[in-house]
Amino acid sequence: MLLRNVFAKQVRDLRWPTFWVSLGCGAMTAYFAILFPSYSKLFDLNSMLEKMGPAAKLLGASMGDASTLIGFLHIELFSMILPAGMAAFAAGVASGFTAGEESRGTIDVLLSYPISRQRVVLEKWLAICLACVVAAVVLWVFAIGGAAISASALPGDRLAAALVMLVLIGLAFGAISLAISTATGNRGAAIGVTIALLVVMYLVDALSAVVDGLATIRPFSLFRYYMGDDPLRNGLNLGDAAVLAGVTVIFLVIAVMAFDRRDLAA
Amino acid sequence: MTPAIETRGLTKRYGRARGIIDVDLVVEAGQIFGFLGPNGAGKSTTIRLLLDLIRPTSGEASVLGMDVHRDRLAIDRRVGYVPGELSLYGELTGHQLLAYLANLQGRVDADYRDRLIERLELDPTRRIKSLSRGNKQKVGLVAAFMIRPDLLILDEPTAGLDPFVQLEFEHLCEEARDEGRTVFISSHQLPEVEHLCDRVGIIREGRLLAVELIADLKGRALRRLEIHFAGPVNADVFAGLPGVRDLVVRDGTLRCTVMGSIDALIKTAARFEVHDIHSIETSLEEIFMAYYGSGGGTEPDAVREASHAAA
Repeated sequence: MLLRNVFAKQVRDLRWPTFWVSLGCGAMTAYFAILFPSYSKLFDLNSMLEKMGPAAKLLGASMGDASTLIGFLHIELFSMILPAGMAAFAAGVASGFTAGEESRGTIDVLLSYPISRQRVVLEKWLAICLACVVAAVVLWVFAIGGAAISASALPGDRLAAALVMLVLIGLAFGAISLAISTATGNRGAAIGVTIALLVVMYLVDALSAVVDGLATIRPFSLFRYYMGDDPLRNGLNLGDAAVLAGVTVIFLVIAVMAFDRRDLAA
Repeated sequence: MTPAIETRGLTKRYGRARGIIDVDLVVEAGQIFGFLGPNGAGKSTTIRLLLDLIRPTSGEASVLGMDVHRDRLAIDRRVGYVPGELSLYGELTGHQLLAYLANLQGRVDADYRDRLIERLELDPTRRIKSLSRGNKQKVGLVAAFMIRPDLLILDEPTAGLDPFVQLEFEHLCEEARDEGRTVFISSHQLPEVEHLCDRVGIIREGRLLAVELIADLKGRALRRLEIHFAGPVNADVFAGLPGVRDLVVRDGTLRCTVMGSIDALIKTAARFEVHDIHSIETSLEEIFMAYYGSGGGTEPDAVREASHAAA
């Protein structure tokens, strides 16, 4: 029963958004996987990227090898669209967890039942974790399916490693958004600041290879840890994963503490 | 016996906006307590402090003998609450919402819940967002009563209820009291709660002005009377009567305000031929104005004087 507790209710609230995000990401990935052989016949992507030079870095194509499907997916999806999408999904949803209940006014009734504020935040957080994992699993299945259709090689373990990083960066931005929204009760501010942060961090990481000064601040960009060690080629880098998970935990703790101290909006 | 609610110097300041100031309130267990005041007087602020939804600037509050912040979960197990601006998950049906809240509560007597649904004539199969304000209010009332709480905190609970449901609601409150439970009802309209409450607290501009037995307050209700006589009457006959104020007699029509009993006025009027009588009970706001002054920061002494003068 999807109304057993706050977690279950949140999962229920997220069932359709999760369905569409999963389907969207999955379909996009399957599309590229299926059409990959035609693309590589039509264009010599590697030489095109070479000609673009530094501009290719901006598109996040700095490391992909476009002659393989997994490299192609890296350039087309994993460098920008998927992490931006996953982060926007997690941040958008998390921003509404408590701030949404406050602006709707449902928080008064919810918290008049014996459940602590900390628990409300944590149970809702678990629901977005589940939603991101579901989206990643669906994406994996669609990608593998698409690769099978086009008879392209796609190593499932390295794809899975990239998806782990995808979920982690999504949740990290989700936790930042959650912390802002629980501390302020302002959903718009949470989404706005998080998206701005995401864009800046993306640009810092993408441009750090071509702009000298940026290399020093690159460690402050979460994107450095997301694909920095190219999990699609090298598998999971536990250190990088731990950094993203650590950032998530820190902001989750901030979110819980901030929400516990605040006067809630009437 | 432990009071159901006790606050000491409870204060909540909001920047420039008024919160509540130095509220000392004791609500004894086993009674229906009306918390009266005009809109914006601080009723909801007080209630939300009791529920730990907001935190006091200073002072303390306990509910059922427990600290509102430290023991919130233990308190929430035993308190039912209907917020003033009731807002529920619109996408759920009444059934689903009540099931969800029952799960959060832990254990709820399903038979009792169903009886409440029946008595309030709630259709629990409809989505809450499709319900009228009054029907939404019923869902809120069932949610609060179904856990058989030791204390019910109801913030303007009768808004939007039709007269039949209002009556049933009053029965529910009385039953709760008769079982030794406590009902705390806020309202800005005295007539809505006067026949229900045992005792009322009056809050105005953030300050608790008085706590009185309802019987005493009603004795001091202000009434505006208009009496139409068959012919001209002499104003002097009515001028000295107890409680009569603002007397105007013109062309056989008498207009005045009566404080307390209207008995003397009616008996005097009965000496003449009366064509018609209009009686308008004044709003709570007007009683506040009459007894507790119109300016802010009424001194306790002035309140006592006013009460004394009126008694």
